[in-house]
Amino acid sequence: MGFLSKFKSKNTIVAQQSGKAVTVNEVPDPAFSDKILGDGIAIIPSENKVVAPISGTIVQVADTMHAFCIESDDGLEVLVHLGLDTVKLEGKGFKCHVKTGQHVKAGDPVMDMDIEFIKNEGYNVITPCIITNMDKIKKITAVTGTAESGKTGVIKYEI
Amino acid sequence: MKKFDYIVKVSEGLHARPAGLLVKCAKDCSSDIKILNAGKSADAKRLFSVMSLGVKQNDKITLTAEGNNEDNDLEKLKLFCEKNI
Repeated sequence: MGFLSKFKSKNTIVAQQSGKAVTVNEVPDPAFSDKILGDGIAIIPSENKVVAPISGTIVQVADTMHAFCIESDDGLEVLVHLGLDTVKLEGKGFKCHVKTGQHVKAGDPVMDMDIEFIKNEGYNVITPCIITNMDKIKKITAVTGTAESGKTGVIKYEI
Repeated sequence: MKKFDYIVKVSEGLHARPAGLLVKCAKDCSSDIKILNAGKSADAKRLFSVMSLGVKQNDKITLTAEGNNEDNDLEKLKLFCEKNI
């Protein structure tokens, strides 16, 4: 229990999916790799489950369910973008478990993304998790490697 | 304050990537920039604010600029919209 609580401190963002955490520079989309939208991490998922990376309020879920925004309890605006260009799927392959305005804890289920289906449709399933209000952040560190959803700390930050 | 109307052309609307580029352009402006759509207003310098408008293709948005450099800023935004969204 003590070991896990190290990763649930308020200055850590946990993996929103299980898989491999990589730096945003490795995302083949300049909106993310050039840090235009902000900075953070990207997960190459190995499972369909997507959980809240941080405790906070669901601010928006795209109509096409390919992205969601969560405002953390400590004021971070975090965007999770499920796959690249997946807005074009118009919702196919995605299931949403939350509503706008709902408060969630880090690790709570938010969406399911059918990674096999999405890959077969020709889309990249790499999923960036980005802090978009970087002006609030003093320091940010990405932690890469194997990630377990809701448990592994993948972004360390200081406000 | 100056403003202009624009009809969004891109098929995906103002989702993450175009919204992010618009926010970047707005941040380069010294004026206060707002986007209005369907009666709602957003701060164009904040990504979440812009995304919460849920602007779709063929929606008409109004961009407003208020500040000392509002004419130049609005021109910059107009060029951006025509080129990117």
